Amino acid sequence: MPKVFRKAVGADPSGVHEVNAAFAGFAEENALPADVRRSISVALDELLANALTHGSTGRDPCSVTVEAQLDEHRVTVTVTDDGKPFDPFARDAPDTTLSVEERPVGGLGIHLVGRLMDEVSYQRREGHNVVVLVKQLAKD
Amino acid sequence: MEISTRTNGDIHIVGIAGSLDSGTSPEAQKSLESVVTSAKKVALDFSRLDYISSAGLRVLLGAAKQLRAKGGSLGMFGLNQSVREVFEISGFASILPVYQSEADALGRM
Repeated sequence: MPKVFRKAVGADPSGVHEVNAAFAGFAEENALPADVRRSISVALDELLANALTHGSTGRDPCSVTVEAQLDEHRVTVTVTDDGKPFDPFARDAPDTTLSVEERPVGGLGIHLVGRLMDEVSYQRREGHNVVVLVKQLAKD
Repeated sequence: MEISTRTNGDIHIVGIAGSLDSGTSPEAQKSLESVVTSAKKVALDFSRLDYISSAGLRVLLGAAKQLRAKGGSLGMFGLNQSVREVFEISGFASILPVYQSEADALGRM
């Protein structure tokens, strides 16, 4: 029976903090190995900070839902936001909002997500950006 | 996120507990800046650091640049496996010196 966690927040700094705290609670309740919890926490921070920067239309704040599902072999994390279409993994995604100095470091966060997780994917579905992350649990 | 500071000889040791992420980085940056203005050698004690994201790495890079500009240095020790992994993936492990222990850092900085 998979264990599930779901949290919906506004894409603002307090929302990021709420997700972080809720995921930490879920990890503790389910005795998730520390390195798995930490990797996912980093990935969530990168994606949520990204949604904050890119998703807001300026008119309505973007809302983000984070779901985590834990089964015997893996943790599957789904991050859904209602911001404008944005694939964080698209290599040629133009990012004119960042200065020349910032741009290389701006790509760093997504690079970390791709390397820390075992699988990452993006879909645009029914007006939402949907990112799915999978982290395998080590076999004992 | 908690920051503590102490000195050992001419080295300022800054302990960062909790996480260095998009939420805590602004505060960490302010604290580090005030240490960096008056110090030349800064050693970061990461023994109570849970994890670091790219926002945190950016703060470290900024502090390192400021210190190097005046002939100083930034080093760190006490990294857990996750923090170490982020340093390696990001390439920061080859930009910022990572020491095996406090003694190692103090001896070599």
